[in-house]
Amino acid sequence: MKKSYASWIVAALIVAVDAFLCVKNPQDLDRLLINAILALSAFATLHARLLSLASAGFAAIGAYASAILAIKLGLPIWLSIPAAVLACGIVALIIGLPVLKLNDVYLAICTLGFGEIVRVSIILLPSLTGGSTGANLSTGFAYEAMKQTRTWELALALLALCYLFWATSRSKTGRALRAIRENPDAAATMGINVVVYKNGAFLASALIAGLAGAFYAHSVGSLDAGDFKFSRAVDILSYAVLGGSGAWFGPILGAGLLTALPILLRDGLRFLKDFSQLPNIVNGLALMLAIIFMPGGLAALFARRSSRASEARGEASTPGDGIEDAEEERVSGPMLAVEGLSRSFGGVAALCDVSFAIERGQVIGLIGPNGAGKTTLINTVSGIFPPSSGKIKWEGREIQGRAAHRIASGGIARSYQNIQLFGEMSVLENIVVGHHSRIHTSLAGSWLRLRSEKREERAARAEAMALIERLGLGDLADQEASKLSYGDQRRVEIARALALRPRLLLLDEPAAGMNEIETAALGDFILELKERGYTILVVEHHMDLIMKICDEIVVLNFGSKIAQGAPEEVSRNEAVLEAYLGRE
Amino acid sequence: MDLSLFANPVFLVQNLVDGLSRGALYGVYAMGFTLIFGVLDILNLAHAATFMWCAFAGYLVMAVGGLPLPAGLAAAMLAGALIALLLELLAFRPLRREGADKLSSMISSIGASLILVSLAEAAFGAQTRRFPNSVLDPKPFYIGGFSGVRISRAQILILAASVVLMVGLGLFIRRTKMGKAIRAVAASQKAARLLGIDVNGVIVVTFLVAGALAGAAGILVALLTNNIVPGMGNQIELRGLAVVILGGMGNIEGAVVGGFVLGLVETFTIAYAPGGSDIKDAIAFLILFIILLVKPNGIMGRGKADRA
Repeated sequence: MKKSYASWIVAALIVAVDAFLCVKNPQDLDRLLINAILALSAFATLHARLLSLASAGFAAIGAYASAILAIKLGLPIWLSIPAAVLACGIVALIIGLPVLKLNDVYLAICTLGFGEIVRVSIILLPSLTGGSTGANLSTGFAYEAMKQTRTWELALALLALCYLFWATSRSKTGRALRAIRENPDAAATMGINVVVYKNGAFLASALIAGLAGAFYAHSVGSLDAGDFKFSRAVDILSYAVLGGSGAWFGPILGAGLLTALPILLRDGLRFLKDFSQLPNIVNGLALMLAIIFMPGGLAALFARRSSRASEARGEASTPGDGIEDAEEERVSGPMLAVEGLSRSFGGVAALCDVSFAIERGQVIGLIGPNGAGKTTLINTVSGIFPPSSGKIKWEGREIQGRAAHRIASGGIARSYQNIQLFGEMSVLENIVVGHHSRIHTSLAGSWLRLRSEKREERAARAEAMALIERLGLGDLADQEASKLSYGDQRRVEIARALALRPRLLLLDEPAAGMNEIETAALGDFILELKERGYTILVVEHHMDLIMKICDEIVVLNFGSKIAQGAPEEVSRNEAVLEAYLGRE
Repeated sequence: MDLSLFANPVFLVQNLVDGLSRGALYGVYAMGFTLIFGVLDILNLAHAATFMWCAFAGYLVMAVGGLPLPAGLAAAMLAGALIALLLELLAFRPLRREGADKLSSMISSIGASLILVSLAEAAFGAQTRRFPNSVLDPKPFYIGGFSGVRISRAQILILAASVVLMVGLGLFIRRTKMGKAIRAVAASQKAARLLGIDVNGVIVVTFLVAGALAGAAGILVALLTNNIVPGMGNQIELRGLAVVILGGMGNIEGAVVGGFVLGLVETFTIAYAPGGSDIKDAIAFLILFIILLVKPNGIMGRGKADRA
């Protein structure tokens, strides 16, 4: 593999240069280790597609909190550092819980403001922090009293963090984060609680930044509000962006390169010797160049980890095709009932007072001209957005307005009209995401590498593999999902929805882009699912398919239901013919 | 707290004057910032650095070049437009071509911002630059005698210039053909392209206008505070974000209203609240956070379709 060959050379070069610099000047090693920890803090958020500029702010809180506790209260650092990290966690929850429910842009804004407020607060509390006068030793931040951490302690902390990141990336949590990174909406409809994971990522980032800050305080021995200004937040971000937010080791390489580069430039080029803005300019350029020319960062140079499809194939010990027979209905009455459902977008009514019910085991067709509100209906039922009014009753319970991930784990799965796969993940991994809520090993369990996790993961992979083979995609299991043909991607979407083991399947134009043979095969497959107890709502424009598979058809036009009945009935309905063909 | 302050009408009017002129500056700054967000859906985090460079451009033209005030204003706005154009060409357009996500554009603008600020530090050092008195007479006018309300020439200039810019931008967006094209691109780049609109051209004009507004804000703030340093963008950046959130992201009228609200709240807090001047930097963040908690679309928030 040529690709991974080059990547190892790059990594080795970075390590060699850093080693050389640290031998020359041992103080640089502490700085390097702290920067690497900070890089992991930025990675934690960026990996979940969150732009947080709070790392410097949290580092400041960690640094000052630990220093104040150690010096003013005389706590030993093994108490002051955890206490400081805890403080960062509390602040992160206060900021994250409200803000991460909103659009991601708001996190960038809020964290930018947060960093500034932390810095201003430090300046405004001189009795505690020494204020803005820099390394104000007179208030008790005495060098000798402060300087307590040893380099090997920093190295140990970094190694421990690396282990945790590695173990997390292989766990259910890591997979959920990758899914959110690729497509948050699709992740939610796979039963992943996106807000919780985003908060978790932000919390982890804050804790790690706080730890790095506390280490910085006890390693450098003096603190200055200027150490944590906005440009520091940008430095930290640039490590993670240059290193790449796809894999945890990338940011560490990024930190190694960007810590060494200014030193090398200054040593190498005489005229840059007194150019104190050099590191900032290098970091700013690194940010821009990396994001424009190398969006995957250094980590992308490394070969992608195999999703171990062949292994999973061998493990498929249980006979079967990966499709579970649908569970028995829990309550009597219709499985799904939509009552007076309306949804408008800024005054335009996309759905208007639509009511119908789906009985268990039925295949219902939902048809109508473009813009009739079919996808809007699926989006409201699957919880992408709430209805403006009306009720959605799922097995007797009202679920309108419930979050998408709860609806998914409640037994309703869907596919998308415009394909929403996790494009950079393999076909196999896409489908294993569907097992999210059935893998019970906790994150702590993954860190301990419990046997139960291995067993659960292996079972999930085997089951997913069987499903892939059943859908005729066996050879493609290791492929990146976005590289597949259109028709194959549609089939992966259906497989992914089935992996949730739903009782109701919502298929939004599953045959779009398929040829006639593929469409016919899809029709047979849907009928087979029906045989096995699945209830299905299918939106389609292929009328042959609809006529062949549906027990009943609901017709929408301009957001309203204009007809409902058996296929032959509907195909003769005056209103339907008019909607499709226009008045003659 | 000194309760007699509340009974003092001169003090009240004085704070109104100060608050309105402060708010006008925030409004002018935030209009450009929110315009780019409204059209492109990205935060241009280099807007504050553009603002700072324009203050220096105006300073160089007037204090070093010896040219009169109108030339300084023009130079600052021109510099702003040029820097914004560079940002569009170097930091934003390459990412639009690649079809990268919004996060990438924000990150790219953060990098650009750091470079701009560092270059200013390298060029001008940390020392504060001030205008000579010949640029703008620092003696204020007094309304109602020496114990009356004080209003400086800079404040008059700010109020006049900001009204011109606010009305001008409003007319430009509402009444001109280019304004209509900008609104079309804001609603949907794809649809605008299908209608034969030169989307990249429209985006360039948007950046030129936003940059010129940053330039105007930069030189006006410099004239008001007479304190020009490379770090001056920091102080307005957070306030600009608070104003934009307050008014609703991408909403230009909202940015104007939000600017005045923040200017007045800050000024009155400093004047009336105990320890007010210590917490003035925190007010913007508090407003920002509270708005995000209770009304994340801003006080005048609207949907994307009819924004900008």
